[in-house]
Amino acid sequence: MEPNIKLKMTLPRIPDIELVAIEGLDRMARHMGIPEEKIGEAHVLVTEAVINAFEHSGQSRPVVRIEFTMNQEKLIIFVRDYGKGFDPGAVEQPDIDKKLSSGHKRGWGLKLMETMSDDLLIESDDKGTRITIIKNLK
Amino acid sequence: MEAEFALKTEVRGDVLIMATSGYVNNDGGQQIASVFEEYHAKGFSRVVMDMKESKVVNSIGISFLIEVIEKLNDNNGKLIFANLAPSIEKTLSIMGLFNYAAKESSVDKALAALA
Ligand SMILES: Nc1ncnc2c1ncn2[C@@H]1O[C@H](COP(=O)(O)OP(=O)(O)O)[C@@H](O)[C@H]1O
Ligand SMILES: [Mg+2]
Repeated sequence: MEPNIKLKMTLPRIPDIELVAIEGLDRMARHMGIPEEKIGEAHVLVTEAVINAFEHSGQSRPVVRIEFTMNQEKLIIFVRDYGKGFDPGAVEQPDIDKKLSSGHKRGWGLKLMETMSDDLLIESDDKGTRITIIKNLK
Repeated sequence: MEAEFALKTEVRGDVLIMATSGYVNNDGGQQIASVFEEYHAKGFSRVVMDMKESKVVNSIGISFLIEVIEKLNDNNGKLIFANLAPSIEKTLSIMGLFNYAAKESSVDKALAALA
């Protein structure tokens, strides 16, 4: 078994703070010799999970916890907020043809996370949301 | 760390080239849409988006490009992305943007494709 390395951070809401999480991830990934292509995709997963946690929490001073667990084989990204939660099953799937003529062009974060990850678990209730994303690195 | 977003524009003939650098976040996307709108109002309908200097984007920033595509579609315009990092290319692909916009490996190739 490869040993795991772990990084835990508590992020405050300041502009572009997701870039700090990405920077930490990059440092770990380079140490582990992870291919650039996988790192780039992990950037998308981290970015979308963190911005959702801040943006949709409904809190006036949200904090977001993020935890990376990595070995040569895989990366686990865990993102937690303490906001109002949501029902992932009720989120509409975005479609480019519809978005083109709609006033609401957004709504792509969950789809990107689902598509770029190897596994995505969303647990959400009125105490917040916990997202666990698995990304295979081989 | 990925730099702050910045946008440069250049006109070559009747083609608008917009070159991003840094993180294409919400503000970055808005800047792209409003600069595009300025030129679109002057009649520009062929656009190259050079993203060579951007390695990180988010879905909010990129959703402004759907607005750009919508406006270009209205007058037979064309958008070509150039120099996309693999993860950005994948992001745009998942969002379905290549159903409505093309991609090339360099600005020169994009300009040639528009000529
Ligand atoms: N951490 C979260 N807490 C509460 N609601 C969330 C969270 N993440 C996602 N959502 C809900 O899911 C919807 C879709 O999210 P997403 O696909 O990222 O699109 P967008 O963020 O552009 O709305 C959001 O509009 C929000 O209602
Ligand atoms: Mg989102």
